[in-house]
Amino acid sequence: MTEPTLQARTETAAPTWKPQIAAIVCNWCTYAGADMAGTTRREYPASVRLLRVPCSGRVNPLFILKAFEQGADGVLVSGCHPGDCHYVQGNYFARRRFAAFRSLLNFLGLDPRRVHFSWISASEGIKWARVVGDVTRAVTEAGPLTDWGRASSPAQVTLPEPPAPRPQPAAAELEAVTGHVRELAASLLREGKVSFVLGWAPGPSPGQTIPAFIQRPEDAATLVFDTHSHADLAAFLAGPRKVSGKVAVLVKACDARAATTLLAEGQLVREDVVLVGVSCPGMWRDDRLAYRCHSCDGEVGALCDFTVSAAGVQPGALPTGAKRATGPDPRDLQNAHLESLPAAQRWAFWQEQFADCVRCYACRAVCPMCYCGSCISEQHRPQWVPTSIDGRGNTAWNLVRAYHLSGRCVGCDECERVCPANIRLDLINRRLALELEQRFDYHAGTDPEGAPPLATFRPDDPQEFIY
Amino acid sequence: MPRIGVFVCHCGENIARTVDVRKVAEDAGRIPGVVFSTDYTYMCSAPGQKLVMDAIRERGLTGVVVSACSPQLHEPTFRNAVQQAGLNPFLCEMANIREQCSWVHPNRAEGTAKASLIMASAVQKVARGRALSASEVPVTKRALVIGGGVAGIRTALDIANAGHEVVLVEKQPSIGGNMARLSETFPTLDCSQCILTPLMVEVSRHPRIELITCAEVEEVSGYVGNFRARIRRRPSFVRADLCTACGDCATACPASVPNEFDQGLAWRKAIHIPFPQAVPSTYTLDAASCLNTQLVSSKSGYRVLACERCADVCSRKAIDYDMRPEIIEREIGAIVAATGYRMMSGEGLADYGYGRYPDVVDSLEFERLLSASGPTGGEVLRPSDGKPARDVVFVQCVGSRDPVHGYPYCSRVCCMYTAKHALLFKHKVHDGRATVFYIDIRAAGKGYEEFVQRAMEEERVLYVRGRVARVTQVDGRLVVYGADTLSGQPLQVRADLVVLASAMVPAQTNVAARLRVPTDAFGFFQEAHPKLRPVETLTAGIFITGAAHGPKDIPDTVAQASAAASKALELLSKTRLQREPTIARVDEAVCMACFECVRICPYQAVEKHEVRARDGRLLRVVARVNPAMCEGCGACAGACRSSAMDIQGYTDTQIFAQLTALMTGAAS
Repeated sequence: MTEPTLQARTETAAPTWKPQIAAIVCNWCTYAGADMAGTTRREYPASVRLLRVPCSGRVNPLFILKAFEQGADGVLVSGCHPGDCHYVQGNYFARRRFAAFRSLLNFLGLDPRRVHFSWISASEGIKWARVVGDVTRAVTEAGPLTDWGRASSPAQVTLPEPPAPRPQPAAAELEAVTGHVRELAASLLREGKVSFVLGWAPGPSPGQTIPAFIQRPEDAATLVFDTHSHADLAAFLAGPRKVSGKVAVLVKACDARAATTLLAEGQLVREDVVLVGVSCPGMWRDDRLAYRCHSCDGEVGALCDFTVSAAGVQPGALPTGAKRATGPDPRDLQNAHLESLPAAQRWAFWQEQFADCVRCYACRAVCPMCYCGSCISEQHRPQWVPTSIDGRGNTAWNLVRAYHLSGRCVGCDECERVCPANIRLDLINRRLALELEQRFDYHAGTDPEGAPPLATFRPDDPQEFIY
Repeated sequence: MPRIGVFVCHCGENIARTVDVRKVAEDAGRIPGVVFSTDYTYMCSAPGQKLVMDAIRERGLTGVVVSACSPQLHEPTFRNAVQQAGLNPFLCEMANIREQCSWVHPNRAEGTAKASLIMASAVQKVARGRALSASEVPVTKRALVIGGGVAGIRTALDIANAGHEVVLVEKQPSIGGNMARLSETFPTLDCSQCILTPLMVEVSRHPRIELITCAEVEEVSGYVGNFRARIRRRPSFVRADLCTACGDCATACPASVPNEFDQGLAWRKAIHIPFPQAVPSTYTLDAASCLNTQLVSSKSGYRVLACERCADVCSRKAIDYDMRPEIIEREIGAIVAATGYRMMSGEGLADYGYGRYPDVVDSLEFERLLSASGPTGGEVLRPSDGKPARDVVFVQCVGSRDPVHGYPYCSRVCCMYTAKHALLFKHKVHDGRATVFYIDIRAAGKGYEEFVQRAMEEERVLYVRGRVARVTQVDGRLVVYGADTLSGQPLQVRADLVVLASAMVPAQTNVAARLRVPTDAFGFFQEAHPKLRPVETLTAGIFITGAAHGPKDIPDTVAQASAAASKALELLSKTRLQREPTIARVDEAVCMACFECVRICPYQAVEKHEVRARDGRLLRVVARVNPAMCEGCGACAGACRSSAMDIQGYTDTQIFAQLTALMTGAAS
């Protein structure tokens, strides 16, 4: 199957240019509504091509991505009105998914005139014709989509510098924590309460701290906790167990949220792990405080079995009293700047970022939420993500991952830290997390029993973006 | 390589006028995999269908695309034809170039181009399609009816009379429900018992109805046609096969408690029969009020009972203190929930003095006061002192249409029964005074408006339009404070008795939860579609009827009961059920067990399935779809991150290929 080249598509943008719009519609309402428009001979632009699915709930938002990739200039997804779904709830789930995916596309700077959602019933032939007219007009105004997978002009964006961080913690504090961690690890192993301890140890090069897997009490002495204990150890917990017995795992505040989400998603059995919360003074990258740590007080979640601080080890997840001063989140400041820019410039910025992606999948490897044994980026029937390392493939991959993390990302920013191309994945994930917090009052990593925000709904969820 | 045939229809001039159908057929011929393409005037005509069938046979087609009208019209036609020619019907797709193309795009060039894209999309879908066959499941020809009120009775009788077995489960010792409590019924003033009792007797004598009273459905497992119900029967401590309902035991029994059948307005013994016409006509020993409470509930063996008077007097030796709770399991094909209603109680009634003043009663209590079989023998006497009531005030919309104190909905029957109450009261107390406070009169039934007019005009019942603010007691008499909104005057009415038309609320059961079917915000069962599927639930094989679904009167309840029975019979009349094959499927090797699909599925069709090694060791848990329950909506597939979940007939692969064809053209 050959793809029209970008150039070919640009050339078709003559004055008589008419957009190509993919309309993904549900069988019971909108498809029948479109039929009704036909039966009553209500003319509308021929730009829209329909794809029939059983229900708007069937629509994986990544279909929208696929449509753009295949040359659509605009996409319309339409289903039954809330409360009228043939399958009762499908459109409620769809509404949440579209809200998340739409905010992702908006943040990345895709022209908002290109993506549309509507509820059209089987009797609303008139509405169908009107919506197709409106959508066609909007997409025509936006023009041919020529910059999918590339920046049409240099973005020239300089992100604002973060505010001054708090001072580095005293060496004595970290040494004290390290000492208590070692004691606790050794005693847990010695008493046979766990068969493994997952912690951090010095890496091969100076200033590097890496994950460590301890099985013998005497090896506990190799453990450390310092301002470079970046690795989110919860990432090692997901998926089928390969070791027997309990595992103790050291978690910072962000890692504890990851463990909580894994519990909520059934990837972890609470009884199988001993969670050891570590009172965290913040992680440092070279000489700057990691962005996520600016707004974090370092307190671990309510889930831990032990909490370690400079003062010692205490059972449970009681506050250590070492609450640290917090400030504004640099990611939010930088996102605010990005969002103040015109969409086209933002799109160029992100396309420049994605252009550097080498598809090493390090982001996926370190992510505690990326636990699929078979990632869809590596599935070829159907091919969700083009394998080519080019703008199209890279855009698809980064969009897929961002969407799959929506409502799940706990903001540990490990993906961004390990990215060899320095793609600001942290900004995307942060923006989407805030969107879901505001929309659905959902805070990832706080409730081990709660339903993920895209796996539930409220009949009165906001739908200001739907025709 | 697929061998696909494309058949482009002119539909007379309907398509051919604005779409160059020959060009569409030619475009089809250039698509790799299309081995035959043609156009014809009327593809749906017999010669048109023959064209399709001949091409399948002669050219060995593996897929068929009919470019014609909407699949809503002729998909069944062509799938049938294709099947007759020996091809799987799910390898036939319609390309809708009429409703969604020729009829809406007058420009011939645009219309033709779009028609080719629509056709190409269907070709790509068929090329990636798979032969699908409907799965079949057997049907157990037995219905379970939960609730023995008039709704459950009617449903059970209809199903049993049609020749199928019915298990009727009732929580109380007798069937009859709330209707058995009513005195007369509107608008005919038939005696409620007189019209209900023959049905109750018919149930008890019916050879195909198994009546299980004092029982509750504890668990329901399985799926449509193949449910399994666990029913727990509380011990009645009286052997039904021996009891002759002579009543000697009740005479001897020393323990008296308020009679729930009379809404607590009279007394009964611990061993009792709820009402004279009860079915089954058997006494029941209520363990909670029997003096032997602890002993009766203790394990059998050595026991000393404080009182054995009932056993002593029973000449048939029917009393059995050792009776245990019993678990009854039944295989069931269809389930009808008819759990009924109760009157609203609690805080919402406080302003009206209910619970504080004994002479403020709700309408079911008033029914008992009116009933000839009631505690007063049908005389309207005040519960406080047993003196005749002469001034009665009826208050409508108590807790109904009142989101602050109760519920926003209208209880639908109160306007009518209040008119009936007032009328019956006036019949009994000719010089009495009846005042009705109302908001609107809703009398939209056959003969209903006339009935209300009769109460107003013939019986001189005073109707006051306005709400009641509160009811208090002054000098030993009730005073109702209200307003007459038509004259704009506040109003105080003295009363001997105040009757509250309190809201109908769902009976307190957990039947909905046990059946795993949804309820609305108030606890009423949710129907599958408010207009088109009013007695079905979303779960195939589970139906609802009567006031469990929402407030309704007896005629509506009975009509709905017969409707539910007919839906259940539609199911039970089949030996095997065919299920649509366009349903979800899990690639178990890819599933990562996040179980979002389990959370999302509105039909509980996705289950957690344990994958075990040969030695029984648990390897992993994955999602699995029960084809008997899946409706194929695809909400699970839309959520699946690992793309383990797919919908047959609407696979991700097909959708991607269709999008590509729609965007990049026919010949790609």
